[in-house]
Amino acid sequence: MSFDATDIALSLLKIAIVLGALLNVTPIMVWVERRGSALIQDRLGPNRVGPFGLFQSIADALKFILKEDVIPLQAHKVLYTLAPMFGLIPAVTTIAVVPWGRSFTIPETTIAGRTLFEGGRLFEPIVADVNVGILLIFALASMGVYGIVMAGWSSNNKYALFGSIRASAQMISYELSLAISAVATLMAAGSLRLTEVVSQQTGYFILFETVRIPAWNVFPMFLGFVIFAASAFAETNRLPFDLPEAEAELVAGYHTEYSSMKFAMFFMAEYMAMATMSALIVTLFFGGWDIPWYDEPATFGGFLLSLAAFVVKVSIVLFVFVWVRWTLPRFKYDQLMRLGWKVFIPLAIVNVVLVAILIAYRWV
Amino acid sequence: MLEWIVFYFFATVAVVFAIVVVTHRNPVVSAISLVASLFALAVLYVLLEAPFIAALQVIIYAGAIMVLFLFVIMLLNLQHKEEPTTRPIQQFLGWSGSAAFVITLVWSILKWAAFPSLPSTRFMSDPRSIGFRLFEAYIFPFEAVSILLLAAIVGALVLSQRSRPESGQGGAQ
Amino acid sequence: MIPTHYYLVLGAILFGIGVCGVLTRRNGIIIFMSIELMINAVNLTFISYARQMHSLHGHIFVFFIMAIAAAEAAVGLAIFIALFRNRETIDVDEATVMRW
Repeated sequence: MSFDATDIALSLLKIAIVLGALLNVTPIMVWVERRGSALIQDRLGPNRVGPFGLFQSIADALKFILKEDVIPLQAHKVLYTLAPMFGLIPAVTTIAVVPWGRSFTIPETTIAGRTLFEGGRLFEPIVADVNVGILLIFALASMGVYGIVMAGWSSNNKYALFGSIRASAQMISYELSLAISAVATLMAAGSLRLTEVVSQQTGYFILFETVRIPAWNVFPMFLGFVIFAASAFAETNRLPFDLPEAEAELVAGYHTEYSSMKFAMFFMAEYMAMATMSALIVTLFFGGWDIPWYDEPATFGGFLLSLAAFVVKVSIVLFVFVWVRWTLPRFKYDQLMRLGWKVFIPLAIVNVVLVAILIAYRWV
Repeated sequence: MLEWIVFYFFATVAVVFAIVVVTHRNPVVSAISLVASLFALAVLYVLLEAPFIAALQVIIYAGAIMVLFLFVIMLLNLQHKEEPTTRPIQQFLGWSGSAAFVITLVWSILKWAAFPSLPSTRFMSDPRSIGFRLFEAYIFPFEAVSILLLAAIVGALVLSQRSRPESGQGGAQ
Repeated sequence: MIPTHYYLVLGAILFGIGVCGVLTRRNGIIIFMSIELMINAVNLTFISYARQMHSLHGHIFVFFIMAIAAAEAAVGLAIFIALFRNRETIDVDEATVMRW
């Protein structure tokens, strides 16, 4: 493994791109959520701050920064301060193993007479292509439970404690159905790397000898897709599974006692986790960066097209997240747990068996 | 060079948090320090060219078992109970006994188990090869462990039930 | 590359810390956590030997150890809950009814 300066520079560039995109998701999603919910509920939404209320997110960010940071008297200070950081860990780190574009060979570029890149270096738009890719996502997602547990316990507030116990029980229950329904896509790809999962979906299914549909995993494994999407809603504590932060029930759940920047970190963590889950849904089930009926060449132009396709798909899934939030009512806690354990896990196992049959008959 | 820095840093983290686990009064702080220690061990597994086991360590140990510990500590409200301090003679014998044990162990490792060199080729554990081994050579332990986990689930459920009162009538449950 | 005996010494130190925890604490949950620490030290030793010997048997062993440790933690904590419910104490020195 020979590393040289260009490899390190390219890695830093990839990290900067991914982190920049992820940190900017929160303000954009806040605007989409508020205007989208207004659209669904037949009202206007914020339209005072800037055209179409576009600068509302900036106003919100300023409010968070300038608010007073209150720490309750009996709170355990160390854990109270650490908890929002733990909540950010799964949101920010799991995007490292998701491929967001087509890998291409960098052509020879010269700037002012000096060679910037010798030709032939492969640029892989994924921050860390480890060979156990998706296991890292499950590992880091299970660290997110600690943020909630520590937040609720260290606040020294019984509503926060109840909310955190409910939230963490919900998250660890739905992690199982998330993992088992993702296993079906990994079986089809034959590897744990997400780049292989995407490259397996770049083919076509030929129906009735004429119609070509893209070989995305959502078509043969629709049941797995539904279970994965529902579990992703439960993992990110979004409606219809957001009982832990329901305003009417538990004051504000596990972040009752948090104010200003710490609350903003929880808020950001929720939206970033939503974006990461959407990226994962798109990668596992909708072909990742693959444009449906077009074979992208391995050049910079092809990479840009695939990046655009990825962003469009993730945006559509994020809009579906917002849409579902403002359409469906909330699950009760016992209904939620029953759904997770008694419905989703058996159905996910059934899905694995069905996909195994499909793979055995070479239909996938 | 970078490997040595990572090794020393995470080895120190693991040892320091392990000492916090063993000595701190508050069980919640002990549990969270154990999570940090296990995470540092997972990083050391990656250094040892076992990324699959590292991911499994975080998922199973730091992500599930320690959450179970934290739930039990919080549900039983154990942080408010004062743990009686151990008798001084037991503390002294415990510390000195374990110190002697560690010193003997380290000395015998350095004397007899210091391998001269590592094999020259790198060895990446592939999930695919582990999967093949699990289903071919180790298929019997694999199935036996699944039965063991079932027994553990049933046992944990039975043990943690509240004793139900003897009800002669139908009982409005 | 880091020689194997560095990892073995680290495993030995962690094991010793775990032994110390089991011997000196009276809180049952802390004793469980010290046992988990000892199990992890053993896992580290297995993985470092697996790298030295270039064999996957160490990895498979660690896989099974983790599964069994999960089962043991679940049942042990259930026993602890049952004990706590009956005795209202977490001190293992108080659970002496079955002794001679």
